[in-house]
Amino acid sequence: MKTTRVVIAGVGGQGTLLATRLIAETAIKQGLHVRIGETYGMAQRGGPVMGHIQIGEAYSPQIRPGEADALLGFELAEATRRGVTYLRQGGLAIVNSKKIPPVEVISGMRRYPREKDLLRLLGQVSSKIAVLDATSLAVKAGDPIATNIVMLGALTASNVLPFGEKEITAVMKESIPTRFLDLNMRAFKLGANAFKKA
Amino acid sequence: MSLNKWFTLSYPMSNPVTRDSPGETVLLMGNEAIVRGALEAGVRIATSYPGTPASEIGNTLAEIAKEVGIHFEWSTNEKVAFEVAYGASMCNQRGLVSMKHVGLNVALDIMEMAALRGVKGGLVFVSADDPSQHSSGQEQDQRWLAKQNCVPAIEPSDPQDAKDFTVYAYELSEKYKLPVMLRTVTRISHMRSDVKLGKLQKLDREAKFDFDQFSYVVAGFNKLFYGGEKEANEKIAKIKEEFDISPLNKLTMTGREKVGVIAAGQTYNYVMETLVKLGAEEKVAVLKLGTSNPLPEGLISRLLKGVEKVLVTEEPDPFVELHIKALAKDANPGVTLYGRINGKLPSEGELMPMIVDAVIAEMLGEKLPQNPRGDLENEAKDMIFSRMLTVCAGCPHRSSIYALKRAVKAVKGDIHKVVINGDIGCYGLAWAPPMSYEDTYFCMGASLGVSQGMNQVGVDSIAWIGDGTFFHAAIPALMNAVQTKTNIKVVVADNSVTAMTGFQPNPQSGKTAMGEPTKSVSIEAIAKAVGVDHIEVTDAYDTKATEAAFRRMLQTDGVAMVVSRRICATEAIRKMRPKRPIPYKVDESKCVGCKLCLSTFGCPGLNFDEERKKASIDPTICMGCGVCSQVCSTGCIHGRDT
Repeated sequence: MKTTRVVIAGVGGQGTLLATRLIAETAIKQGLHVRIGETYGMAQRGGPVMGHIQIGEAYSPQIRPGEADALLGFELAEATRRGVTYLRQGGLAIVNSKKIPPVEVISGMRRYPREKDLLRLLGQVSSKIAVLDATSLAVKAGDPIATNIVMLGALTASNVLPFGEKEITAVMKESIPTRFLDLNMRAFKLGANAFKKA
Repeated sequence: MSLNKWFTLSYPMSNPVTRDSPGETVLLMGNEAIVRGALEAGVRIATSYPGTPASEIGNTLAEIAKEVGIHFEWSTNEKVAFEVAYGASMCNQRGLVSMKHVGLNVALDIMEMAALRGVKGGLVFVSADDPSQHSSGQEQDQRWLAKQNCVPAIEPSDPQDAKDFTVYAYELSEKYKLPVMLRTVTRISHMRSDVKLGKLQKLDREAKFDFDQFSYVVAGFNKLFYGGEKEANEKIAKIKEEFDISPLNKLTMTGREKVGVIAAGQTYNYVMETLVKLGAEEKVAVLKLGTSNPLPEGLISRLLKGVEKVLVTEEPDPFVELHIKALAKDANPGVTLYGRINGKLPSEGELMPMIVDAVIAEMLGEKLPQNPRGDLENEAKDMIFSRMLTVCAGCPHRSSIYALKRAVKAVKGDIHKVVINGDIGCYGLAWAPPMSYEDTYFCMGASLGVSQGMNQVGVDSIAWIGDGTFFHAAIPALMNAVQTKTNIKVVVADNSVTAMTGFQPNPQSGKTAMGEPTKSVSIEAIAKAVGVDHIEVTDAYDTKATEAAFRRMLQTDGVAMVVSRRICATEAIRKMRPKRPIPYKVDESKCVGCKLCLSTFGCPGLNFDEERKKASIDPTICMGCGVCSQVCSTGCIHGRDT
């Protein structure tokens, strides 16, 4: 079968790993083979984090450069950083417009690049870029921590994955504690709708 | 520094690791798969010291130990962890010890003795190596220690292997009465994949010390004391034969190939994808190598004899390759070896898929397209910051460092008149801008030792250490200072958890790894008991009081310690969820745009609006600690009600 490859990029604390896990759990429920590699050296300390997901025929926990079907960028600069390396020519990029300035920017050593410059660079790999304000949507859903589920909703709506909303929300219901479930379901819907509009 | 429960939602149904459903396929991380394997082997006791990339083994055990009726502990250090499991092994119970690679250095003394005296109940220890140093100060390849100490070492390639190999490791351990090293690397520890479960097992064994095997009195002193080396060598020779026919090694070879690959552990994944990509599955013989000590020499010789070129892929050292060079001399001296030694692969670090693609293509005489994105990637590199590491928003260490800098300036006149010897933990990021206040850190507890050497030769220094690390390895060094009258100054940056590896409890937490309440060990009481002359405890969030305490410490003539205490901000917020902290705000009418808060404090929750020339606080990041309001000189930062 065809292998589906997704790269998730973000910053420690954004919940990229949970999004990755939910996709993988769903794949397994569908009887699909899945391989995930996670890079999160010092994730808790606001460092860059990255998840590589391969569904279908796959061995490696790392996707080769230029072979990802989709990029899920949880943070603006991280999306471009990973997208120019991993996204295949013409692949789909879903980008959260949220900027999380690193300590270099906060302490005045560097400037945060302009959004249009970052997107211009990413645009050289693919013109299929959907930009959404996922963090604000998560706040709207009830907690900025749900940014990951907003992004997951958007990815699911894009039909890149070999399964849809029904399958993935079923896994969410099984694996997210009840007291956080409503919040996450709201976030998922907001993300899916935002993608359809983007 | 690792994945932790902040990201990992718990499983409301049941953790798949404990699911009693043989044949079911579940998603497991490599580290979880090891735990599952141990449960399928009927493990009775598990011990660990947290450290990336091993931590999730213990995190998983902490979650499930009670439910499955085994003992799990976060031991005070790796040596203790190993000894606890070995004690149970001598009483015929199966044990699992896990640690990051360098933890094995700490446990080495007892690991070697366990190999020499042998084990009774199966004893499996995990060395989670970290090639390319994702979260370690070194990429030490611990397979050398297995070789050095006559310990069999096996290397899984994925989570399914990790589970299956663990089950097998217990059989091997009991058959040859040796501890077995299960050696993983970060990419396996943190790989998630579908794993087919086997049967859970409970061994109903009587716990009984084996006097015949272990007692000097019963077994005889000379036999035990001098007999171990020979016996261990004989065992390894037998295991070598077993590994030649073991399913852990898989040779795929038709005899028509000219090229062969010996792929150890995780690198097998890259090799297989490369062959698919090049359409070369038929042209290359592959030995999937799961046993790196001892090597299956017969199997390897068969491959060496059948081909003209052989590539060895492994991480991070050419451990297998070196031994294969020696084997080739007898098996096929004409064979050309490709690997790290001859420079076809980099001499250190992880292998990457592209590196493996390139070398196999070269061996097959094929050309791969060059990376067409090189220029674009360089442009991105120039445009985008590297995202340097720093401590979290609201981290009490940031305020401790801020106060320490001010105190040293006040007492010594210059912040660089004192060498800051840091240690291993979150506070080790004190070197990072804008705090930039830490000169060294080495290994667990070393800050106190090296500070004493500096003090003895007349160089001023401060030992800067965390609570977990203090318990792990600093207490002997502290006693050393008292006994030798070496007047070191010690700051314990105490955030009350072992935060960097994911909030594991330590001896002062007042709870066990399994969540039971227990006595809390007091750092200041230990310091008092060993004879430290001056001890103070302060609230790290109160920068004025903390600075004053640091000043008094620096002015003390004697061994002096300040415990700068405040719970880890991330842990505090985890505990208050689903509530969120109330973020602080900048009163723009008062902010003069001086950037003092950013340049001297630099909390990730702070930002600067270049157009309005005002500081701002990101409410989604702010932890509500309010320390930045103590840093601001105009009083423009305030909480909700002030």
